[in-house]
Amino acid sequence: MTPERMAELVARWVRLYTRSLPPPIARRRIDEIGADLHDHIAHERGHGTAEWRIALSMAARMVRGLAADLSWRHRTIARSSNPEHATKMSKSTYRSAVRVALATGFILLLPLVAMQITDEVAWDLADFVFAGVLLGGTGLLVELALRRPRNIAYRAVAIAIGVAAIVLGEADDAPGLMLFGGLLIVGTVALTLRTALRSE
Amino acid sequence: MPRRKPGTLLPLETEILGVALSMLRQGHASFHGFGLAQTMREQSGSRALTGHGTLYKALSRLEEFGLLTSRWEDAAAAEGRPRRRLYELTGEGARVAERVVADSADHAARRPGRVASEPA
Repeated sequence: MTPERMAELVARWVRLYTRSLPPPIARRRIDEIGADLHDHIAHERGHGTAEWRIALSMAARMVRGLAADLSWRHRTIARSSNPEHATKMSKSTYRSAVRVALATGFILLLPLVAMQITDEVAWDLADFVFAGVLLGGTGLLVELALRRPRNIAYRAVAIAIGVAAIVLGEADDAPGLMLFGGLLIVGTVALTLRTALRSE
Repeated sequence: MPRRKPGTLLPLETEILGVALSMLRQGHASFHGFGLAQTMREQSGSRALTGHGTLYKALSRLEEFGLLTSRWEDAAAAEGRPRRRLYELTGEGARVAERVVADSADHAARRPGRVASEPA
């Protein structure tokens, strides 16, 4: 590996551990290590050091500093989050949880009421628990996806749950489950499109 | 890992202050990360340079303690290469560095074992 490729690898690591830190702090660390790597290569080449040895030395410096990098990141996050922001986040999380709980409870009330009116609907406790976990989990996922619309992981999980619901619904002849899976997939695709349009 | 006592410096931080003071005495008031790592390697006789994370974390702590100050190098001085972050000892930093260097010299002088083990 050439020193330049190793420098790019180190730079990637720096960009990774400075992600989501306050931009001026992250920028400073990225630029400072970029200059260090440049100086390192120039210095060693000036002394006739073999290319592989320069790359190895840079990799060794990166590896020796990994623990300090993570500790610095942790400390920087702790210092940069102010109490007002933390309170706001806590309130927002509480509201999300209440929203999901109310929506789940309301939807579960529908079969419960239907059971009192007709014999066509006959859910047992396991059905309610299964539906509650499915609805609650999906609600939380949607809340997370809305908070971090650029995070692809939540959308991927939502699609996977939607596909699983359709497959299970098909196998178990449960049109409600299939409908739920379909709505989840359509909703996730709509959210993705909205994020993409807003970012243009 | 045990927490450090407030006001105490880690060995790497005292080493940085010592090197910064010796550079200052040689007329180099400011220094940059790689230059510091290189000087520390030469002075300690080690083959390895200090890790990136270890070095810059120590520098940022010294800056937080008010012992170092830093600024970006002028673009003109950089001559096309990436600009370096330049560090300097503050007045307080220089005082602490002098005390640290004096303490370590005193500590070394009071180690009879090392003197006795030197060849005659």
